[in-house]
Amino acid sequence: MIIEDVTLLSTERAYDGGYVSWFQAPRLSARKTPGQFVMVHCSQERTDPMFARAFSYYRVDGDRFAILYNVVGRGTTWLAAQPAGTVVRMYGPLGNGVRLPRDPSNVLLVGGGVGIAPLMDVAEVALKKGHQVVAMMGARSSAQLLDAGAWPREVEYIVVTEDGSAGAKGFVTEQLGEYQQWASRIYACGPNPMFASLANTLRNNGRRQRPEILMEENMPCGWGMCYGCAIFTKHGVRLCCKDGPRFNLFDVY
Amino acid sequence: MKDALLEVDLAPGHKTGLLLKNPVMTASGTFSWGFEFARHFDINALGGVLSKGVTVHSRAGNQQPRVAETPAGMLNSIGLQNVGLYKVIDELAPQWAAWDVPVVVNIAGDSIDEFGEMAAALDGVPGVAALELNISCPNVDVGGMEFGQDPVAAGRVTRAAVRKTDLPVVVKLTPNVTDPVALARACADEGAAAICAINTVLGMRIDIDRRRPVLPRGRGGLSGPAIKPVALRIVHDVARAVPVPVIGCGGISTGEDAIEFLMAGATAVQVGTATFANPRAPLDVLDGLRAWLRKNRVSDVNEIIGCARLPG
Repeated sequence: MIIEDVTLLSTERAYDGGYVSWFQAPRLSARKTPGQFVMVHCSQERTDPMFARAFSYYRVDGDRFAILYNVVGRGTTWLAAQPAGTVVRMYGPLGNGVRLPRDPSNVLLVGGGVGIAPLMDVAEVALKKGHQVVAMMGARSSAQLLDAGAWPREVEYIVVTEDGSAGAKGFVTEQLGEYQQWASRIYACGPNPMFASLANTLRNNGRRQRPEILMEENMPCGWGMCYGCAIFTKHGVRLCCKDGPRFNLFDVY
Repeated sequence: MKDALLEVDLAPGHKTGLLLKNPVMTASGTFSWGFEFARHFDINALGGVLSKGVTVHSRAGNQQPRVAETPAGMLNSIGLQNVGLYKVIDELAPQWAAWDVPVVVNIAGDSIDEFGEMAAALDGVPGVAALELNISCPNVDVGGMEFGQDPVAAGRVTRAAVRKTDLPVVVKLTPNVTDPVALARACADEGAAAICAINTVLGMRIDIDRRRPVLPRGRGGLSGPAIKPVALRIVHDVARAVPVPVIGCGGISTGEDAIEFLMAGATAVQVGTATFANPRAPLDVLDGLRAWLRKNRVSDVNEIIGCARLPG
């Protein structure tokens, strides 16, 4: 594990309520697989809030990496407000990322809201490995969607909104359409109801794609010490941080 | 100046003793089974390691949410998720036996007899250096804190375990009583080699949007720096009253915190919730302790144990 005081390079708005922060982090940028995460302390004194917050790698570029996050509480409010140059304590990389196939494949990414964050890193790694990538993102409305320009040119990016303000109207898991047949592997990240819905969509003909999901739970420690982030799977209780955050969709749903 | 001598004995009156190379231990339930820490850091640098609370049968633990952050602390309601006694004996203890750090197994029985049975099963198991009786977990329906709130019951549990094992038996006390000293005395009278104080403080948080408690069981155990003054007061009072060593636990995250507990009368300390916020916390506490002793020209850590004790 690497514990590193890293420098915040920039924070920019990504969509309504969502921000991308880049960090200069020579050692922590060396994550093994996309889907891994870092624990970021969102206070200088580290007493209130006391615990670091888990963020997946959104982008990695040499000795810099970025996270994408929604401002939802005190930690993320603090983080989004820090000026460039702020030194932030972090530790990681933690958890198990996704397993990409060895042979060139059709990779379908399904993201719900800020769950799109690790899928950007998955997409960039998958492209380097020669896979075809389609990324689908669902959001409440067009204001919460990641810009098409954020994606590498080679990625086909499809959006779905609950209010129909951009792309198809509805839930992303119900709009997989022809891509469900096209995909040879599926990776998803989003809120738990999205996983349940994805499992319903894929239950009858999606097992061959061995869908992997990146899950989230409240993680005080991030490395298997506190047992706070229990995930109840069909094979027993697991810890999201240490045993996940990558799970097989059908082991949980 | 040379580094201070750090060795302490947690069971001086006991036949096997429980010698620690330094007074910094980990706290049960905050360190899993030690393997994650051993993978990333030098576990053998620590004075002692506590296992997660073990029950006879494996447990899945409580539903989500299990934790709620609080200022300088957290509430937990994990519910003793663990792999069960026999997996500990068959699979985990043999790995602990290879470590150069004593591992203390924290056991949580459902009944007084079960504490005895578990103590007997762990007796003589290589890799197990001592037992810590968990009569202070607030997050389970049966057992847990109910034995720890009545001196008579606490004494019976202690006796049941002590009679079934040659291992030193530590009893971990709950702070959720009016008179922790009476509990400590009862446990020491029945053969406890040492007393550990404290387990978590009962607490609560309300989700004001949902108008319900955050934790499904309503209450949880408060830990972290927020409870340090409470722990220190109980450690002080207990250490003054019992003839056996006391292990201080509750909100320790720096070397200075550890020094405070030692001065209050603790012979060793357990670092718990701090490890969630800082993975290196037990090692940082040890480094800080060592640095303080050097700076203050203390040649043996035992010299400061109880030095701030008030007259009883």
